[in-house]
Amino acid sequence: MTPILEVQGVTKDFGGLRANNNISFSVQKGELLGLIGPNGAGKSTLFNCIAGVYNVTAGRIFFDGQEITNFKPYEVSRLGLARTFQIFVASGDLSVIENIMVGSFLRTRSRSVARRRAEEIIDLMGLGEHRDHWVSELPVAAQKRVAMATALATQPKMLLLDEVAAGLNPTEIDEMMSLIRKIHYDMGITVMLIEHVMELVMNISHRVIVLDSGNMIAEGKPEEIKQNPEVIKAYLGERYVAQQQKGA
Amino acid sequence: METIRNIFDFSDFPRKDLVIFGLFCLFLFIFPLIPHSSFSMATMIQFLMFSLYGMGWNTIGGYGGQVDLGKAQYAGIGAYTTAVMLIRWNIPFWVSAPIGMAFAIIWSFAIGYPLFRMRGHYFAIATIATSLVLLDVFQVWDFVGGAKGLEIPLKKMPSLMYLQFRNDAYYYYILLGLFFIGFFYINWFRKSRLGFQLRAIKDNEEVARSLGINAHWCKIKAYAIATSFVAVVGSFHACYNFNIEPEDIMSLDLSILIAMMAMVGGAGSLWGPIIGAAVLVPLKSYLGSWLGGKAGLAGLDLVIYALIIMAIAAFEPRGIWGIVEKARRRKRT
Repeated sequence: MTPILEVQGVTKDFGGLRANNNISFSVQKGELLGLIGPNGAGKSTLFNCIAGVYNVTAGRIFFDGQEITNFKPYEVSRLGLARTFQIFVASGDLSVIENIMVGSFLRTRSRSVARRRAEEIIDLMGLGEHRDHWVSELPVAAQKRVAMATALATQPKMLLLDEVAAGLNPTEIDEMMSLIRKIHYDMGITVMLIEHVMELVMNISHRVIVLDSGNMIAEGKPEEIKQNPEVIKAYLGERYVAQQQKGA
Repeated sequence: METIRNIFDFSDFPRKDLVIFGLFCLFLFIFPLIPHSSFSMATMIQFLMFSLYGMGWNTIGGYGGQVDLGKAQYAGIGAYTTAVMLIRWNIPFWVSAPIGMAFAIIWSFAIGYPLFRMRGHYFAIATIATSLVLLDVFQVWDFVGGAKGLEIPLKKMPSLMYLQFRNDAYYYYILLGLFFIGFFYINWFRKSRLGFQLRAIKDNEEVARSLGINAHWCKIKAYAIATSFVAVVGSFHACYNFNIEPEDIMSLDLSILIAMMAMVGGAGSLWGPIIGAAVLVPLKSYLGSWLGGKAGLAGLDLVIYALIIMAIAAFEPRGIWGIVEKARRRKRT
């Protein structure tokens, strides 16, 4: 396997605050990687550094064999690295299908091609009933799916998902899980996700990375991470461990 | 082929809209043939001019959501290019108008590149400033007649090449031709890739950038498109009025009026600028003739425009068309 994304010693400072401290890891082609950690650990900052929203203070980032350190967001996404946002705000000027078409217009100039691709993705994501609604009218779960669909429409090689399960109920979390699996297995897209919903991360990730106060404190298979005393202390908490043991 | 189909594709509008618009077009075609006063002819010409101004503004201001209050500078560039070339070198309108458009576009790149680094109100204020600076330059620039402006000499014979006619109906039909070119262009534009990208930028610029859209460059392109509309109408204005003054063609009043056409009618919709011009131009003509005779009331029209802008901002940012669409949605649900 070859790495599709390589992060080498990335450091990001905001004034005196070090949000990411010398973080290095790589993501293999076809992997499904989880990124967890308490609030303020620097997960979203790391995403934003990779996606080009922030310039890094130090370190280098490579995607698909090319250095993308400090690229602009649109350059990163043109190379095939798409992302979703934690809060997908849409003022309501575009309908669901139009939103997705904006994504598919990245790879074509033709409206009919863009529309056809958007229709395919609407079917795939189960958004048919919301096709012509404004995004702001939709329930949270559907809004998250629209955000993912729009990112997918850019035909990425890799997808960064930022808290797509936040605010969903258990049924919706199950649906989201199978959706991510579908994107990963059926479409062959490498996925890296930030998530607070442990059930989802631990179930679908091949590998998990843990951040705490800007440092990478652990990396490993979900089962290893669950046992890691440092991770339990920093993030998972005794309660989660007790629950797991009770369940087992 | 697909492009041609998109130009004439109105399938996303209900049939009723198209029938109303069709009847309106019919009226526009036969208007000069039915009896009319010269005042109403002048008003109709103004209506067509401001529709075109508004359609242009709508690309960047409506679809792109970047409130531009400095469009008069480009009307000025168009008007002055045509007037200067005609007076000095006897160059006809049909040659000078595209050249004026080219000058305006070049200037729009020079202005747009730095200005689109700013967002929201800062951008709006900066556009006002650049337009007023250019106005000052033209007022002291002797080559273009300074503050006195330019007077276009009358040809002995009416001429299509120089856009000089004795009868306003000729101006009207030429403008009507430009109106339909502009209208169908916008109908294509709103469905084009750039149109979609602009709407995405208006929705959420950060998300748009993550979808591979170079927001800065998209805005500059749309700004240039808006500019070319405005510059051509400016050129036409010079020929139609025979007389241009910087204080008139490059004024802040004109910039605000251009923006108001689309804002009142419905920013970001195909019909918006046309509705806006149909409402505001008669209002403007009426206010002009009413206030013109009353000393001490000069400037009251600006107060009225300001009130309209505030009312729109407060109650319905999508203008008259927004009210119509809202009512329709309510009826459906």
